[in-house]
Amino acid sequence: MYEIHSVEQLLKITALVAAVISILILVWYLVRRPPLGRITKVILLFGLGVMPIGVALTGNIAGFEYTLKRQFCGSCHVMLPYTEDAADPKSNSLAAIHSRNHSFGEESCYTCHADYQMFGAMTTKVNGLKHLFYYITEYANTGPYGEGGKPIHMYKPFQNGMCTRCHSTTAPNWLANQDHAGMVEDIRKGDAKCIDCHSGEKIHPRAFAHGGTGRPPVADASAPEAPKGAHP
Amino acid sequence: MISTLTIRRLVLVSTITTLVAVGLMVMGIVFPRPLLLVLAMSLGQLFGTLSLALYLLAIVLDLQGVGEHEDIGPHIGFDSEGAAANRAEDRAP
Repeated sequence: MYEIHSVEQLLKITALVAAVISILILVWYLVRRPPLGRITKVILLFGLGVMPIGVALTGNIAGFEYTLKRQFCGSCHVMLPYTEDAADPKSNSLAAIHSRNHSFGEESCYTCHADYQMFGAMTTKVNGLKHLFYYITEYANTGPYGEGGKPIHMYKPFQNGMCTRCHSTTAPNWLANQDHAGMVEDIRKGDAKCIDCHSGEKIHPRAFAHGGTGRPPVADASAPEAPKGAHP
Repeated sequence: MISTLTIRRLVLVSTITTLVAVGLMVMGIVFPRPLLLVLAMSLGQLFGTLSLALYLLAIVLDLQGVGEHEDIGPHIGFDSEGAAANRAEDRAP
């Protein structure tokens, strides 16, 4: 028996059931060609209107939910150095450490990289369309991990706000780190960037070892450097 | 001149367009790859909206009695159209 574990699965099943009903009605009409009486019109209204609208609504939400997942980000092979490392239970990279946290989990890419201002989800998805365009036009024929392609970079600098959503800069453990304590005001103002110290090589080491730089894979790419002073 | 045949053609085109739209949306759900999702959420819904608009147009034309008195239908293999079908339903016990 198929079990439903998430809202996304429930939405997908609802959408598929609505799609099947719609298709059955439409095929019935195409095969039988009944006169357009009242009953036929009402049945067709379900097949042409109500059910497809149901498919679109539930399918959209299910699709949007799926786009938040790391598995979706890894759909483009150039992202594999990032997503494989994040999903690796043995990796000590910042991305992997965060991905093992239930607050991030399967949605770790989106949680750290989404815009959080008003309409942030929308701007993030519009940027996703740009990703798709660039992937098709520039990266589709690159190597298994994107080697040979242009170096991948973010559209805008990584903001401290992405980190301080969780790392509030007030926790005693965080302040116990001398580097943090010494520049806490600069960090809060944004004059000092978190990624100045916790740089890309520590967040996504495999990507910076090969695919993300457009270079071919290297022997030690899967041995990430352990981050210094991982903090709560 | 809009005839009963036109109305039936509108419904036929609407039906086929809806099948394409639903197919695209189902593909986006079953195989959630980036390109398919974009196609499902753009072209799929565009086709779906167009087909519904076509169907509603056909219904409006039919309700206005367009082509009701034409007798082209039987000559091309169709039964009498909307009005006649409605009358048949009304007569049914």
